[in-house]
Amino acid sequence: MTQRYIKIGATVLVLGLAFAGLFWSTLRDGTEYYKNLDEVMTNQSEWHGKQLQLHGYVVPESIYRSRNNSLEYRFKVQNNPARATEPGSVISVSYTGIVPDTFKGEAEVVLKGELTTEGFKVSPNGVMAKCPSKYEAAAKSGA
Amino acid sequence: MASLGSFLLLATFVVCSYSAAVSVAGARRRSRPLIESGVGAFYLTAALMTVASAVMINAFLTNDYSIKYVAHYSDSVQPLFYKITSYWGGLDGSIMFWVFLLSIFGTLAVYVNRERHRELIPYVVATIAVVQMFFLYLMVVHKNPFTTFLTTVPADGNGLNPLLQNYWMAIHPPSLYTGFVGMTIPFAFCIAALVTGHLDDSWLRAVRRWTMFAWLFLTFGLTLGMIWAYEVLGWGGYWGWDPVENAGLLPWFTATAFLHSVMVQERRSMLRVWNVILVITTFFLTIFGTFMTRSGVVQSVHAFGDDPMLARLFTIFMVAILTFSFGLVIYRLPLLKARNELDSWVSREAAFLVNNWVLLFAALFVLFGTMFPTLSEAIMGQRLTVAAPFFNKWLIPIGLILLFLTGVGPLLAWRKSTVRNLLEQFLWPGVATATTLAATTALGIPVWAPGLCFALCALVTATIVQEFLRGGNVRRRNTGTDLFTAIIGLVGRNKRRYGGYIVHLGIVLIFLGFAGSGSKKEQLFRLKLHDQATIGAFTLRNDGVKVSDDGQKQMATAYISVSQNGKPIESMYPGRSVFRKHEDEEARTDVAIRRSLAQDLYLVLAPDVDFGTQTITLQAFVNPLVDWIWLGFGVLAFGTGIALLPERAYSFALAKLPAEAATTAVVLLAGLLLSGVSLKAQQHQVDPNVAVTPSKNALEEQLRGEMGCVCGTCAHEALTKCTCGTAQQMRSQLRAQIDQGKGHDEIIQAFIGIYGGQQFLQAPIDKGFNRVAWLFPYVLGATGVFAIGFAAIKWSHHSAAAPPETSATLDDPALEERLNDELRDLD
Repeated sequence: MTQRYIKIGATVLVLGLAFAGLFWSTLRDGTEYYKNLDEVMTNQSEWHGKQLQLHGYVVPESIYRSRNNSLEYRFKVQNNPARATEPGSVISVSYTGIVPDTFKGEAEVVLKGELTTEGFKVSPNGVMAKCPSKYEAAAKSGA
Repeated sequence: MASLGSFLLLATFVVCSYSAAVSVAGARRRSRPLIESGVGAFYLTAALMTVASAVMINAFLTNDYSIKYVAHYSDSVQPLFYKITSYWGGLDGSIMFWVFLLSIFGTLAVYVNRERHRELIPYVVATIAVVQMFFLYLMVVHKNPFTTFLTTVPADGNGLNPLLQNYWMAIHPPSLYTGFVGMTIPFAFCIAALVTGHLDDSWLRAVRRWTMFAWLFLTFGLTLGMIWAYEVLGWGGYWGWDPVENAGLLPWFTATAFLHSVMVQERRSMLRVWNVILVITTFFLTIFGTFMTRSGVVQSVHAFGDDPMLARLFTIFMVAILTFSFGLVIYRLPLLKARNELDSWVSREAAFLVNNWVLLFAALFVLFGTMFPTLSEAIMGQRLTVAAPFFNKWLIPIGLILLFLTGVGPLLAWRKSTVRNLLEQFLWPGVATATTLAATTALGIPVWAPGLCFALCALVTATIVQEFLRGGNVRRRNTGTDLFTAIIGLVGRNKRRYGGYIVHLGIVLIFLGFAGSGSKKEQLFRLKLHDQATIGAFTLRNDGVKVSDDGQKQMATAYISVSQNGKPIESMYPGRSVFRKHEDEEARTDVAIRRSLAQDLYLVLAPDVDFGTQTITLQAFVNPLVDWIWLGFGVLAFGTGIALLPERAYSFALAKLPAEAATTAVVLLAGLLLSGVSLKAQQHQVDPNVAVTPSKNALEEQLRGEMGCVCGTCAHEALTKCTCGTAQQMRSQLRAQIDQGKGHDEIIQAFIGIYGGQQFLQAPIDKGFNRVAWLFPYVLGATGVFAIGFAAIKWSHHSAAAPPETSATLDDPALEERLNDELRDLD
């Protein structure tokens, strides 16, 4: 009986360790930091060169395309929603590519990319605007 | 109306609590009248919720913008169809729809099982009633869908988001909810069995059909969500591992595990604790998924908005579910002991066991990945996220292991497989697998993972074909019919097994689609007028951009001529449209997809159109085999349907019939299957060349307004607006009638002659029978009222007439029915 338990225990241990090892290794290159703009801006140097997911709101009327109708976007992102009294930290963002349909001024966005000295550089396909979800926050319903 | 709705919700809550309390009391005191009263009250909740739903739909139909919910999700120009579907379009309404479905399903389940599982019924009623109470409580105190504006009522609503005004999106949520809500019924029976200690396998029989039904709808809902993402969102894929998608997938894994392990319990009386845990977990995950997506706990690009109050209420409910259910399981552990042990690891039950572990692991893994940001914030104080590559890295091997088990499981014998029958069983499937693997490698497809996936698909297919042929041959020898009849008879004799094999075939097709995504191509082109670009076998040429306007939206449409291997094959029209009232948003992408079984060509027009030089940026995808996923779902649904059908449906093949009749039947069945699978929605082909020509006179203008396009996909737009080819044709028919100098009614009659009905009219002629269409909500309401009355009468009648001590008596027909049922299940 004891031998059986030892066998089972050993199998579980080996499998468990193997899984944990695999998990750890895949998790390490799979993760990105998810940060609000304010958290990053208070200590910028610490975040330079790290893969980030940055959460914020597009500053109204800040979207600018360098040539007429090109795919190069420059816009500003602030920490707080546009309707808030204080905008919070603001950063300028550059991106080349196709933006989602829901991307616009005031939109809540999550940007994947890197923090550089010139601002936030979004990696390809790294703009995620809020999905056209039906479950919108109550604040908009009175509009 | 709003106050009536609120009142109905409150009344349902009261009736529900009564039903729960009385049922438990009745069961404990063994009092038949109390139990009956509880059941009656339970039926009443379904009636009340039906009336409340009718009130809500009525509010949408009559544009009652005093109700906030209506004002938020509808507006006056919204097509009728989307007005009705807006009922479940938002958070508050979706909770109400949830309770409505649950009350209907609960009533059905209780009604069907009231005699067979008499001892379980009171607790089933109590469990479902408590779940309903929770959601009703949410509505009454926190998210009342009937909340009205306290200040000025808006003149018009906000309207449903244009991206959601899509056919798939309208039927996706109810299907998913049906799956989610359906999982409550097995849970209720499980709890009832645990409480009463009737833990033999009879409760399983009561719930396995329900689980299958709920599972089918869950799968359907997930598939619809994928189709929507693929057709509308324009990123070329269908699954992004977003928390909202994952929420639907979690219970799917555990429900699938349960559908398999339930067989082990029926056959070998093993895994009894495991099954109970799976049922509880599945139910818990449906609630958890709802919680995750509605309360803002998990940050997602899907904006659900933070709602701490909702999060708190849900947390309390979930903790209560877990404590209560698992407390019961621990309390009943002695009764749940397995009656058999695993004889060998080379047996079917072992394969099922491994399949279950893998499925559960997949569920836990997805749960972990989805909750990872929240977990990492709680533990490390840093919000870290994991993205699609992480999920893919893990779920590709998991999927392949599952596919492997799907192929191997049916080949193994119960209890223990001998080396001899292993050889016999594995010879042909093994050969098929090896050949496919060799062939894919020779074609240059990488072994990991598409090559392996194709090989395993071959394995599963070979297994299934072998099973059908062997079984069919045995039966053919025994009954002396032809092979086709024998196979249908075989399926009829053991619907779950062979239906299950067909489901597996569907899964194989879905996996083919997944494997195809391994060789997906994606490219971005900047094309001047008449420039060409090549992706895969396709050459795309920019023939220019046009702008058109149909009243509801303004569209920029690119004309792309596509040629394959040098031969021109088609013109495609990817575009972007800006909707009225949504001008401040980025234009909606109108994806152009050219479907074929081998590969889809998927074109997206980027927003940087230069109208002056007609230069565009085109994002092109080639998605191989993607359509097999949707086809696979069709096969899967067909298989589940076979497993769900009652025996009677197969009686024709079970009796010995003349061969001709059987063959005819097979042809009919095959035709039915093919029509179901290859049914392609009629395309609402927006032909940008079509502009609405001005009307000739006032009569024509009036008639155009009264008639709607009949193409079937455009929400029945009026002929004054619709620009599709069908509408164009209808306009010319109308012009011909006008030119003949006919009057208003004459023309309508002529059109009725052409179309064989009034479906071309925007509104049915307000006469006689047609008024019924408008009466629908009222009829629905009246039905509810009648049902209440009926329930009340029946209920009072029963409790008055039935003497208290009848609970133990079983009248003969009921006993017979139950016996019959049990005997049938022994097969």
